[in-house]
Amino acid sequence: MNQLSTDTEVVKQEVFTNGFWYNNAIFAQLLGMCPLLGVTTSAENGFWMGLATLMVLVFSNLIVSVVRSYIPKEVRIPAYIIIIASLVTVVDLLMNAWMHDMYLVLGLFIPLIVVNCAILGRAEAFASKNSVSNSLVDALGMGLGFTFALLLLGGARELFGQGKLFGFEIFGADYPDVLMFILPPGAFIALGFILAGVNIVNKRLKQRKEAMALQMQQTENIAVNG
Amino acid sequence: MKFFDKEQQKIAFVLFVVGIISAGVLGLVAQLTEAPIAQAQRDALNKNLVQVLPEHANDAYLDAFELSMDGQESVRFYPAKDKRGNIIAYAWQQIAPDGYSGTIRILMGVRTSGEVVAIRVIDHRETPGLGDGITLNQPWLDSFQATSLSNTKWAVKKDGGVFDQFTGATITPRSVVKAVRNGLIMFAERQDVLRKTYREKQRNDENKKASDGGQS
Repeated sequence: MNQLSTDTEVVKQEVFTNGFWYNNAIFAQLLGMCPLLGVTTSAENGFWMGLATLMVLVFSNLIVSVVRSYIPKEVRIPAYIIIIASLVTVVDLLMNAWMHDMYLVLGLFIPLIVVNCAILGRAEAFASKNSVSNSLVDALGMGLGFTFALLLLGGARELFGQGKLFGFEIFGADYPDVLMFILPPGAFIALGFILAGVNIVNKRLKQRKEAMALQMQQTENIAVNG
Repeated sequence: MKFFDKEQQKIAFVLFVVGIISAGVLGLVAQLTEAPIAQAQRDALNKNLVQVLPEHANDAYLDAFELSMDGQESVRFYPAKDKRGNIIAYAWQQIAPDGYSGTIRILMGVRTSGEVVAIRVIDHRETPGLGDGITLNQPWLDSFQATSLSNTKWAVKKDGGVFDQFTGATITPRSVVKAVRNGLIMFAERQDVLRKTYREKQRNDENKKASDGGQS
């Protein structure tokens, strides 16, 4: 579906907004649910998990699109998996060395980025068929969209669960902890509300686009008739 | 005889190259991060050691030594010494095997008098929001301060002891309390052995230093 070969600014913009919003890994594709439920108990956890995934996604798209013409079709999936698994291990080691506290919190979810199908999905659906620069833009859009989604969900759960945001008291110290938002069911419920919000925004966007198209048509008609 | 045609040879070769390059990159990164990871782990432990040991003049991490427990895994002890070089307290990792979900690792610091300085939970898989009070609930952690085998009833309040349980989580604090008590019992039985083992380690270190100095 993504046969975009002309390297124009417009195409790049489209690729980015597509990854960030219209085809967002969480909002539209509902991929990567495992880290979503597991680590988004706070805004900070969600943010760093998103960034770690973004790193892997950028480099995997980059490498896959560079080597796309050398990898035989029959073994492309195992080859991509090796590339992605190596990148995840690198991120795992780097975080262990230089972000030890966050590493201890995210724990097992860092290695589990390997099985985040959003990453293999982009390698297979986009990077293997598109130019290096477009693949990079796609990875940035998808990765930032994923980070945004995790940040939003982590923020919502932290805010309603503990009355805090990034560790700062928002609702005051008297706010009673709402346990449900911190436990996994809370993730599903919060995600449901966020998805509803996203759908409303999408509907508005579509209506506005249609209204604009209609208006343009009318002005055209007036110009022709007049 | 030919096992593979040209196409198959190419496929195998490509996968081979991808594997070799990946292994090379991983080896390189592993080597580069080896020292920083060790340092980060040491820093993390040191941060906890400072909290569970009284003010001391030595580097507890460097002075640490292992003591074998009969029939169980050996335990690493971190001694705290005053300015004159006398040991005033030890810290070690005590394991609570019966947490709500798996084992809980506790770092506890105890004075030679048998009095708890402080405890910290360094690893656990308890339920977020319920059992994880053992790392987040500072007043609860502080309630272990200055307790000893003789001056404290070692149980949660529900079981007639002095330590609070949490709303919705009794098993977790119960297992921590039990583990700390077991640690104190173990410590009381082994104080002499500990002192002896530490002196031996000190002698070994000095001998090693002397022989190293002689060689260079």
